[in-house]
Amino acid sequence: MADHNDPNAVNSIFSDIEVSAADLYDIFGFPSDDRDGGEKVVIALTFAAVPIAGTLDSDLLYRIRIAPDRRIQRNEDDQSLAGLLRYFDDVKKKYASTLKPAEVRVTIDPNNRAMVKFIGFPGGAFSKLIDTNTSLTLQSPGGHPIKIYVGGRDDAFFNDLPGFFRSINYAPQFYHVPHTMPEARELPIPKTFLELEGNDLFNYDPKNPMLGRGVKLDLPPGPWSWTGNKFKKDADGNFRFVYSGQDAQAGKNVNAIILEIPLAYLTDAPNDHRVVNAWGESWVRKAAHKVESIPDEPFWIERPFDLVGLLELDDELKQYKLVDTDGQAFADAALSEREDSRQMGANNFWLAPHFVKRLAHLGWGFGPSVSALGLKCSFDHDNSPVSVHRFEHSVLTAFPRVKKVLFQDLRMPDDTWNPKGLDIPLRRAVEIFIPNVNSIDMDTTGTWPFGRRLEDQVATRFLSVFLDMDAEIKGKKYSVELLNDQSLWDAAPIVPKTPPNPLKNDVPFLKAFPYLAEPHPETATASPTYPSPTYPSPTAP
Amino acid sequence: MSLAAAAAPRAAAPPATDFARELRRIDARIAAGEGALAPPTDTERVTTYVDALYRRALLTGDLDALERVEPAIDRGIGLITHPGDLHLLKARLAFHLHRLADVGRILEAVAPARTCPEGQTLLADLDFQQGRYAAAAARYEAVIAKDRHWGALAGLAYHHFKMGDPAHADRLYAEAEDELTAKEMRAFAWLELQRGVLDLAHGRRDETAAHYARAERAYSGWWVADEHCAELLAVAGDLEAATELYERLISQVSRPELQQLLGQLHVLMERPGRARSRFVQARAGYLDSVRRGGVHYIHHLADFYCEAIANGARAVEWARRDVALRENFITQAALAWALMRGGAPAEAAEWMDRALASGVQDAHLFAQAAAVYGAAGEAEKAASCLDRSRQFNPRLSRFHVHR
Repeated sequence: MADHNDPNAVNSIFSDIEVSAADLYDIFGFPSDDRDGGEKVVIALTFAAVPIAGTLDSDLLYRIRIAPDRRIQRNEDDQSLAGLLRYFDDVKKKYASTLKPAEVRVTIDPNNRAMVKFIGFPGGAFSKLIDTNTSLTLQSPGGHPIKIYVGGRDDAFFNDLPGFFRSINYAPQFYHVPHTMPEARELPIPKTFLELEGNDLFNYDPKNPMLGRGVKLDLPPGPWSWTGNKFKKDADGNFRFVYSGQDAQAGKNVNAIILEIPLAYLTDAPNDHRVVNAWGESWVRKAAHKVESIPDEPFWIERPFDLVGLLELDDELKQYKLVDTDGQAFADAALSEREDSRQMGANNFWLAPHFVKRLAHLGWGFGPSVSALGLKCSFDHDNSPVSVHRFEHSVLTAFPRVKKVLFQDLRMPDDTWNPKGLDIPLRRAVEIFIPNVNSIDMDTTGTWPFGRRLEDQVATRFLSVFLDMDAEIKGKKYSVELLNDQSLWDAAPIVPKTPPNPLKNDVPFLKAFPYLAEPHPETATASPTYPSPTYPSPTAP
Repeated sequence: MSLAAAAAPRAAAPPATDFARELRRIDARIAAGEGALAPPTDTERVTTYVDALYRRALLTGDLDALERVEPAIDRGIGLITHPGDLHLLKARLAFHLHRLADVGRILEAVAPARTCPEGQTLLADLDFQQGRYAAAAARYEAVIAKDRHWGALAGLAYHHFKMGDPAHADRLYAEAEDELTAKEMRAFAWLELQRGVLDLAHGRRDETAAHYARAERAYSGWWVADEHCAELLAVAGDLEAATELYERLISQVSRPELQQLLGQLHVLMERPGRARSRFVQARAGYLDSVRRGGVHYIHHLADFYCEAIANGARAVEWARRDVALRENFITQAALAWALMRGGAPAEAAEWMDRALASGVQDAHLFAQAAAVYGAAGEAEKAASCLDRSRQFNPRLSRFHVHR
């Protein structure tokens, strides 16, 4: 038939795969307030409500991987580059060999029932076929009660995502960006919290207020670089905030796997293992296994390392492909540029050099805008009066500038996070993002970065890593909550006078399991935490 | 799936097939995109609409419709600021219609279309079609090193298939399959068909049948799978079943080469009247395409005047035009075959020398070479080629589908 073995004879240049149930959104995790029967940890993995909230995709497999461990001890506070690299190496060794993460695995049958498997936990392995959209309590072999909910909920993420994308000049949120122009995604304009004078591509346009909030325009012809030299100010001398404080996820649903698990089920040493590390993974069934069960043939002659990887997979996982991982909010989006090959979850150690350079790139943008507001910045931007679009091409030049960002203790606003008053070190950015896991400290409330509670405004707290935590405002040291303080913005020369992101969810969370609010009656699909292409990706047929 | 099952008539009221469902989705997209090519519009609307038109033409195998997509692509290009995606689509369309010079011209002129992985894979396909086999392999490998796209793996597999390493080719096809998910079942089915073709080229008919059956299970209702099954039935000697299946295909898909294949089956079944009728329809279809400026069927016309309605002079004429479009082992061998049929065995042998110099190891090619060299009086070369043909496929059939 003269197609000459041409795969394109059966395909277009665009994918058939649109918004995917494999798109993980968030992983929440915190110690349960319910201590009846002992300590319990709550973990909630949320993902795209595809096909709709409450109905899950039977081609998907979700894993919540859990690795309880001791709290990090800083015997030697080495803040050198060598010390940083040693830290990465230690983490790598720990996740590669010492920790053996257990997991909760969920698949969906054609009747929308969930097969849930608890694998590798000291409290015993077991599995159960359960109804979706119902809160249930399962009993482990050792008698531990485990609460579980699989199904549709309200999207617990409350956030001004368009504001974040405006801050990094992420064009696909605002413009139709062709697949053949990957260079036109993050445009070469300084990242910033404050609008730049003359940044017509991304500055708020009162004539088109919904641009980036559902409205997209055709990407104008280049060049897309910015040639200005100052932040934009209005007639009253106010800066214009790139954020609006509005909740872009209001009224949207997700599908979710929510667990409440006794700590004693997760670890044999609950008094020792006070930190529960958790991350989520989505896997999609391989085409071959959709047809029938076919033994995998490791192509070990050509790809010997694949064989090593395959040996670590059980028979079920070999039928699936890893698509997405989720550990820390913004670890992928802000630090890894959301490249699929960098969706590494706990195994993101190899990103360490990239992480340092990317943080420096963000710092050159965000740093001067922090300083312009009169706040002290943790990034060394040479007192630049305006944000700069600059890449550090070497870790050696990037590291001194980001050292404080990486190593400073992220101060909490008060002591409520540490109800037992224990000697728990404050978290640092370097520990938060590598490895890319949600580390839930069971001796804390689990508020970010000691986990992630539903009510945490984590997007704004993430921005606080660029604040100098040694600085004071009104006699009080900076903290991760500073940018959530309305009074700060009331006093700042800026409009709109709002914290970057909303302070609470559009609907109240529940006080009891499953904690996330009921799904909205509409069958709306939640937007991903990072936008999908305007039309399907070309990397699949 | 047994061969008999492949030809069995379908139930009167079958459930919607994967093919039917996909076609319905595309039609819905086309309906939703009506008006996309008139201002005011935007990149997403234009691209989605044009892509849907293109997909529909490909899926239904309607080359006339595919030709009609091109003006829509051109209109789209004129409407949007950054038409790189549409240029890539246009290059793909040109490749599908064998307008290889256009492919090269488009990719040369449009950097975004050329530099993306899809563009690089298309350039590798172009290299192969233009006889630059080593360059094609190197380019596929470069794409794979960066992005293990299944299409590049399949392209490299085809290269190894033709260069005589079927085991490596099959492994690469399997690797390509391994890259696909349950959301890409048509691509998986297509790869299974290629693995079947690979087996068939080496006489492994049962293995071929197994691959074709998996293709059908992966993506049901696809005429392309039926067309492969029809060939297999014919090669296996079940000419009645093959005829029935080709007739059904012709009722679904308007492709003149299907008419020619059915005509050739009638020849094998000694039904000259029916064969003639099919050949006339095939010729009309080919020439209609050529009259519209198409080059897709030039190769088929060369073959037609050799195997269907014999006319050596015309066969040579079309084969020379084919070589001028793309000189590779396929067109070189086709010209050699036409020259032999046209009574010029010495020149035929020269062209066959060129075809074999490509390094391609293929039973059908060696069988043709044996005949050409025999006609040219080069008995030793003819015997050697015949041996090699049998070595690659001891069960080579007289029925052959050009792929």
